[in-house]
Amino acid sequence: MHKTSPQIVFVLVCIAALNAISTGANAACQRIESINSNQADAKKLLAAYCFDCHGEGGEGSLNLVGLLEKGDFDGTFLFENLITAKMPPSDMEQPSFDEKRVILKWLAERQKETAPNSFRRISRHEFVHGVNDLLGTNLDLANEIPDDRGTNDFDSDRRIQLSKELIASYFAVADKMLDHALPVDGFPQEQIWITNKLKDSHETYNIYVRDYKEGTLLSWTRANNGNSYSFFYDNFEPPAAGWYDLTFDAMKVGEFEGDVSIQVHAGKYYYADDRPQPQRLLDVISLGNRQLESHTVRVFLNPGENVSVHCYSRHTYRNKNPKEGAYIKQLRVRGPIQNQWPPKSYPTVFGELPLKISPKRMQNKGLEPTVVSGFQSNLQKIGGKLTVSSFQKGMEKENMQDGSNRTFWHTRFEPTIADSPHFVILENPRQVEIEGLSYATWSGGNGNGQVQRFSVFVSDDGKAWGDPVVEGELEVRLANEQPIPFTKPTTKPFIKFLINESFSLDGRSLASIGKLDVVVGWKIEHPKIKVVVDSISSDDLETVIRRFAERAFSSNLSDNELESYSSLGLWPLAKNQEFSQSAKAALKAMIVSPRFLMVPGKHSSLSHSKIAALARILWLSLPDDELIGLANAGPMSDKVLAGQIERMLSDKKSDRMIESFCAQWLNLRSWRTITPSLKLYPQYDDLLNYYLPMETTAYLRNLILEDLPVGNLIDSNFSMLNQRLAEHYEIDGVVGQQMRKVSFSSEVPRGGLLTMGSILKVTTDGFDTSPILRGAWISKNIVGTPLSPPPEDVKAIEPEHGKTAATLREQIERHKSNPACYACHKSIDPYGFALESFDATGGWRTKYRVEKPHRRTFQFRLDGYYNLAQEVDASGEIGSQKFEDIFGLKKVLLLDHEKVAYNFAKKFFEYASGYKPTLKQRIDLFNLIENDPDDCRVRDLIKKVVAYSLAGEEK
Amino acid sequence: MNHTSRRDFLKFGAALPLALHSLDLRKAMPKQTTPPRRVMFICNSLGFYRPNFFPGARGDLSSSKYLAEIKTREKLTVFQNLFHPGMETSNHDSEKSFLTGVPKPESPNFINSISVDQVLAQQIGKETRFPFLPLSIYDRGWGCSWNNRGVAIPPMHDETKVFDKLFGKEDLLAKREQIANDQLVVSCLYRDIKTLEKSGGDAAKIDAYRIVITELEKQLEHDAFWLDAKKPNVPNTLSTNTEFAFSAKIKNMLELSKLAFQTDSTRVITFSMDWIYGAIKVPGATGGWHTLSHHGGKKDVLEKLIRIEIDIIQHVNKFLADLDGIKEGDGTLLDHTTVVLGSNFGDASNHTCNNLPTIVAGGGFNHQSHSVLERPTPLCNLWLELLNEHNVDVGRFGSGDQNLNLLAT
Repeated sequence: MHKTSPQIVFVLVCIAALNAISTGANAACQRIESINSNQADAKKLLAAYCFDCHGEGGEGSLNLVGLLEKGDFDGTFLFENLITAKMPPSDMEQPSFDEKRVILKWLAERQKETAPNSFRRISRHEFVHGVNDLLGTNLDLANEIPDDRGTNDFDSDRRIQLSKELIASYFAVADKMLDHALPVDGFPQEQIWITNKLKDSHETYNIYVRDYKEGTLLSWTRANNGNSYSFFYDNFEPPAAGWYDLTFDAMKVGEFEGDVSIQVHAGKYYYADDRPQPQRLLDVISLGNRQLESHTVRVFLNPGENVSVHCYSRHTYRNKNPKEGAYIKQLRVRGPIQNQWPPKSYPTVFGELPLKISPKRMQNKGLEPTVVSGFQSNLQKIGGKLTVSSFQKGMEKENMQDGSNRTFWHTRFEPTIADSPHFVILENPRQVEIEGLSYATWSGGNGNGQVQRFSVFVSDDGKAWGDPVVEGELEVRLANEQPIPFTKPTTKPFIKFLINESFSLDGRSLASIGKLDVVVGWKIEHPKIKVVVDSISSDDLETVIRRFAERAFSSNLSDNELESYSSLGLWPLAKNQEFSQSAKAALKAMIVSPRFLMVPGKHSSLSHSKIAALARILWLSLPDDELIGLANAGPMSDKVLAGQIERMLSDKKSDRMIESFCAQWLNLRSWRTITPSLKLYPQYDDLLNYYLPMETTAYLRNLILEDLPVGNLIDSNFSMLNQRLAEHYEIDGVVGQQMRKVSFSSEVPRGGLLTMGSILKVTTDGFDTSPILRGAWISKNIVGTPLSPPPEDVKAIEPEHGKTAATLREQIERHKSNPACYACHKSIDPYGFALESFDATGGWRTKYRVEKPHRRTFQFRLDGYYNLAQEVDASGEIGSQKFEDIFGLKKVLLLDHEKVAYNFAKKFFEYASGYKPTLKQRIDLFNLIENDPDDCRVRDLIKKVVAYSLAGEEK
Repeated sequence: MNHTSRRDFLKFGAALPLALHSLDLRKAMPKQTTPPRRVMFICNSLGFYRPNFFPGARGDLSSSKYLAEIKTREKLTVFQNLFHPGMETSNHDSEKSFLTGVPKPESPNFINSISVDQVLAQQIGKETRFPFLPLSIYDRGWGCSWNNRGVAIPPMHDETKVFDKLFGKEDLLAKREQIANDQLVVSCLYRDIKTLEKSGGDAAKIDAYRIVITELEKQLEHDAFWLDAKKPNVPNTLSTNTEFAFSAKIKNMLELSKLAFQTDSTRVITFSMDWIYGAIKVPGATGGWHTLSHHGGKKDVLEKLIRIEIDIIQHVNKFLADLDGIKEGDGTLLDHTTVVLGSNFGDASNHTCNNLPTIVAGGGFNHQSHSVLERPTPLCNLWLELLNEHNVDVGRFGSGDQNLNLLAT
């Protein structure tokens, strides 16, 4: 109850007077800054509304009287509690809108803010996107630069300082990108590979695929450790890093509902590993077609990586000798792809300058690929051949050279057993330098003849062999290729591989080999097309460098400013080096220069500095020609600027902003590092892991695209889903893996950020959920309830379900009995309680799962290793509002859209500006929020915050 | 001494390496007669369960469940009652201050200072190919090493890349050309910095950039100098166990540390055993390491946590035993390598930072086995002692104003 003291009576009179002053016409449009605020008024209001609890000896843990007397204090917490209407509590008397403004304004004005640094380094993501746009490349190399975000929330944080290690990696990545854009020895010629052959796979799993028609039929094969088991394609290895089109001629086989997915992976081929590590998931093909169709995905591949496929369909789990699943007739690879010819990097960097292309016939038809099909061993590539001591019919020596260890060479055993010695002689007529041999056993079968001990000899004439150059043992159970390196390379024309001992079931003398090949030191050259600029003019080079500099630095430059860079390019040109390679050093210097790495940069006009900031915020990159044109034309009006923000948000490049903002704001970047327990959540897989964060970014993109109300961050009747996500969310009727907008009825608990799997997963450790941690995370990041750090010496409570689980809630409820805890936890824990209906992967649950004791090596199984424990209780209370479950919580949160919008605006401001808004700026941000929840829209708010943040740069 | 030491060569600075091109570097720099001294810091960021860490019976290391695992116990001192003043409680940010002692790492305006490993690296790191080696478990971008401006030095977490950096073959010709090119780029950047200064650019911004480019320039000189010395030829013995990836990672990082010391590739290593908020697996236990660290004294939780901690201790034991098994000069490699194992948390369950579990092993010290300090003492006093022991005189370090003087030989 609100007791009325004499002091309060006095204050109330004053407030009435204040109200009289400020309630004019049009009060609703009044902004906070229009209020006259002074310390006396503000203190009176604080006394009126707060001192009852926060006075001397009041029940609130904060003593406001003492604080105000002290005079010097950080008012942020007070300010935030007031502006988000957390305080005064809803069951207490509330200050009027104008009264609130008086206090807020005073708090903001008295606050001593530490000025943020005047500059920051650009982040690794801004660096890579920016350089890509400057060079016309599309490389994803941000992970080669160490993450320097530290424990800051945003990459753009101005407290982050450049270090030597970072600049060294910028140097290295700049080289990599420049070499890719302007390769000194040319671009690898595009080729086509056609294959329908899979490499051998582990015997535990090769029963789940089979030869079918002209290709392969795959069922859903999860490995014993629960990872997706991948089947590798043979006869294709990317000759160079680049983009490749993978075209699968494939169809769905089976009468069940829903699409079958082909997960396309890249990684290192494994054979013997029955507990494989996850592969890099490149893309997913969704098969609903019952007729063969071509499906193409464009992917980036590195040399040494192999392409592999995994079939996902809930209906075909580990079907032996499958009759249903995904049928792939063949894989056709085309690449490395250049989207245009000559490659985009040349016109992007050199403009209209004439080019010279060699070989000459490639001048116009650089896109004509050569077709490679079938397998060639290294020995064949160097013009060699092999002979053997004997062979069994049907198991000839060619089987060692066909790239497969399912086919093999075997010494003769019928009609008579060949006598030892058993050996293979490899001939090297061109006397190429050979560094060793590569051996693989034959797979499957009974193992008879697998080599255990061997010696290798070399000879000039194939007759005199001398001492062995290497001897050793080989593993018989390992079907991966086993290297046999020589102590020093040989160019001798004859090499003998002698089998000293081999495995035999009945003691007979036999030998067999799946694969045998030579290891050659030099790379087998992939044909390349050389592109150079046909100019030796230093004027041309200066023009190129100036153009690049003006784009990179988003500024017009004087000759003097340009001098150090142009001289770096002119110097090699003067020494007769080729034009584009001469330019390279200058380009490199520019992208590691202070003008590029440190922002805001030095700009020739205010307009230039604005377009640079805009491009950085919305595209993580640099201004395009349109922006540069506008800036060159002179000062930009607010209207022009607003139009550009609008255009930039609609440009595809704004996806980078959405992804980056989500990754930082919602922590999605660290999200992938947490693997849920497959004992508790066996349904979790890498496909779900792939799509969950996509839902979040696609959702935010949709809110921006359709300019939907901010309330959608909390709840909505739709989300961006596909078949896999819909399965996870138990929503029927979504077929196919393409992401699309899916509307659902009000009984579905999804919609909004809180109930997305990505958010629900990022707030757990993959085993249990903690209402406290989830609650705190939601408060801080989405709802925007201000939290103060926990008091010292408080014992932490961690989740534990099962026998003692009843005590978890009890323990948390104990917060209530301790006022020091309850002050904060009453506004943290309830969010977590409502989210208890969702497990650590974001799946819906009504009962907790408790792991069964299981000591042996984990073997994946679809029904996991858990028992169901007690029922979930998702009820709670915020302020005086009780709710039963997540539906109730969302309703409570939606009552105050301003709080959610305010939090979003603050986060976006921090993302855009690199520092937390000052209290004064927070008032401005709050003023950007429309009062009517339907008018408060995401795109509009982002546009306003961006414009506001730009205006801040001007000061 | 009439031969020229490596140190003497380096004293002459940048000009000399160019003059050395024609010389055989290995001949020019004779093997040191006294083995060099090395230092390694290991920080277990989630601490150790103290009742298992500290000896139950005073002075008897075998009465500690964890230390009983360590075979080289006679070359070890465990310290009780060390802490960082002003940091009795903190949060996980306390890891930032483990080797610096700067209080309030959790504050938004926290500015760190140089870490003790970097002070050492500046002194004793000059004579090796790698002045220091920062290692971690995960890709996080920061660890316990902080430079002289208090900026985090990103540690390396990929053991294959570390191995390659230490021992991998290089295309020397390409590398030499690369360094020469980068040196040209750097001199171009210096010229532009001057232009920017003249035109009245933001001085703080230019300074921040100039400092790192100057550091990079020195690094290039250092790299160019070492191009003439062949990298040691070391077979790759790293574990590729994927079932116990966490375990294998720790094992590998310690193995790499051993190899790096043994080949005198570096003399200062810092291994930040950082954590992520997810599950790890060691023999006998699977769980969220962080979640388990908040055990609250619960028996079944502790059981798993202890499995993880024992696994870590066993790897450290093997590392120390390996070092002690390598003869060097009149002792073993361990006698010439100071290994510190500690944590930023005294009790991670409560996020308290008093009574930090700290071990110093090896280094040829006069080990005390169990050193219980009467009152809470700054950990920086121990850092100060280690600095002094390596002939680094800095007067004060962090909150340390007095050499602990407990290890002196």
